[in-house]
Amino acid sequence: MSKDDLLVLHALRCGGWSSVARVAEATGLAEADVESELIDLGIDGLVTYDSGAFGAWGLTAAGKVADADRINDELESAGARPAVAAAFERFLVLNPELLDLCTAWQLRAVDGVMTVNDHHDAAYDARVLDRFADLDRRVAPVHTELSTALHRFGRYETRLTGALARAAAGESDYLADRIGSYHAVWAELHEDLLATLGTPR
Amino acid sequence: MRWIRPLSGDTDEPVEILGAKAQGLLVLRRLGLPVPSGFVITTDACREFLRAGRFPEGLADELVGAMAWLAAGTGRRFGGARDPLLVSVRSGASVSMPGMMDTILNLGLTSEAAAGFAAEDSRFAADLLSSAAELPDDANAQLTSAVETVFESWNSSRARTYRELNDIPHDLGTAVIVQAMVFGNRDEHSGTGVAFSRDPDTGENVPYGDVLFGHQGEDVVSGRTATHPLCELASREPTVWTGLVSALATVESHYRDACYVEFTFQSGELWLLQVRPGRFVGGAAVRVAVELADAEVITREEALLRVSPQHLSQVRTPHMTSADVIARGIGAGPGVTVGRIATTTEAAVRLSADGPVILVRPETSPHDMRGLAAATGIITARGGPASHAAVVARSMGKPAVVGVAELVVDSGSVRFGAQVIEAGSVVTIDGTSGEVARGAARATTNSTDAHLHRLLAWADDVTGDHSDREESRRLIAAQAALRLR
Repeated sequence: MSKDDLLVLHALRCGGWSSVARVAEATGLAEADVESELIDLGIDGLVTYDSGAFGAWGLTAAGKVADADRINDELESAGARPAVAAAFERFLVLNPELLDLCTAWQLRAVDGVMTVNDHHDAAYDARVLDRFADLDRRVAPVHTELSTALHRFGRYETRLTGALARAAAGESDYLADRIGSYHAVWAELHEDLLATLGTPR
Repeated sequence: MRWIRPLSGDTDEPVEILGAKAQGLLVLRRLGLPVPSGFVITTDACREFLRAGRFPEGLADELVGAMAWLAAGTGRRFGGARDPLLVSVRSGASVSMPGMMDTILNLGLTSEAAAGFAAEDSRFAADLLSSAAELPDDANAQLTSAVETVFESWNSSRARTYRELNDIPHDLGTAVIVQAMVFGNRDEHSGTGVAFSRDPDTGENVPYGDVLFGHQGEDVVSGRTATHPLCELASREPTVWTGLVSALATVESHYRDACYVEFTFQSGELWLLQVRPGRFVGGAAVRVAVELADAEVITREEALLRVSPQHLSQVRTPHMTSADVIARGIGAGPGVTVGRIATTTEAAVRLSADGPVILVRPETSPHDMRGLAAATGIITARGGPASHAAVVARSMGKPAVVGVAELVVDSGSVRFGAQVIEAGSVVTIDGTSGEVARGAARATTNSTDAHLHRLLAWADDVTGDHSDREESRRLIAAQAALRLR
């Protein structure tokens, strides 16, 4: 298999059932290239397309096994396990804070009642966004460690920084409220770290 | 002493110095309720530590003296092989920052002390060691390091972010409470739990909470062991139950409000570890205020001032009415929804072609996004209000119940405690109250709440305006009038 196959296969492993566009976004590959990789992976029985209202590409059971093997080979042959494991530890320290921030974006305590944030208080929203930016700065060294250890991890920094930039520019659902949001990409990074290290949830 | 105060009834200083948790413990002491012996290191000491990066002058000596006092009072020896004394070290700031700072248990568990416990009871000693942290084998060094860790946890980035978001100043610091350990894992007549003096969901005047038999409190937090409804204490440990119910009544009459306590019982003996007012919201807040006024514990005017307009709109949020509630978790995405249970994303997508589906998972990951998109509601066993499932459910505007501790997800069915529900069966979830019910329950908007009607009638009595207006305006007008008095 080529390197791009693994990127596509692993994007489905970490992102779950996905459209071609989402896999392209996750991998940084062109949609046409993703599509042809998916077709080849499908012929090998590693991925499948499920049509219907929630039509999407996903891994087969064989695909999940193949991904685990190849991702483990990649990790071990690069001698990257210690570095990825250390970066994961640092990620886990920041993870509860990211989840706190997403919650603070969605909910506010008003007289002790957790209430859906109606986003009428611009000062509060700006403060939450500011804390996201602060967290993003603090996670940067983790991205550097990861992408130094395994090049493919570099994509997460691009995607997270991109989501934050869109949120800062006014598309505020890019923080926690849509596919491709900071929260969604962060969760994929979390899943990737678990999958790469072979750690069960 | 400059930095340390004993947890004894005559210690009386402001919350800014002692922290809210220590103040609660002092209240319990003054009320004659059982509190493990201990002392509190003031927020001044914390601020000084954070400024200078080391213990302030004199604190180390005071700590040695306070430990000697504690050992003498309990008749045990810190780090000793015979009658070893273990202590807990807990944070306690003047403002509430739930879950943000550290608690460290079982300090003083040196190899010598462990041998001492093993001589008394080998099972108990093994249980203590199984949860022991990596620490130096010196009791005083353990204690010093634990106090430093709790001081430093004030400035963890997560705690800083929490304060930024909640307008809490960064320079308050936390007090640190050191207490003789009491052991919920001591024997079969031991355990730990949390209790409200009234039901926090409904406000009904019955004790409510969770109890864990034979374990320490951190086993609840770690999700290693399932809790039981508090009322099971009545049959299993009737003496502890009687003591707890009586303590709840005592603290209620002190605070003149519904209360929350944390407790441990060791070999059948009850100990209280924390108390605070219950901070009820919504319909529960209304009901408690009205019933306390009826009982003449508070005046009608006080009742009106205790209920915020925000609580009224919460009363009006649609909620589930069912006689067949099978589980309770944390409501993490508001709303009530009915659907058939699916235990995998694939099953959720498949089933959703024929009608609404509730996705039930141990926890969620990106794999479940498609299932979450297909489902009308979500239940998870693990995670809190900030978990992946909760954040995603809210982003999709879907009801969610998370952290259902007794939930086990099997392949073709789910179990809530002893009750097995087959995949494909219909359940209802209430993402506000956190309840899960069997079958299709009704969602109703509470428009005939008797307590609310009475409260609003009192509001109209205050303003003299009995015209037909929005409920929150009736309350706000009464509160404005009362605040001018």
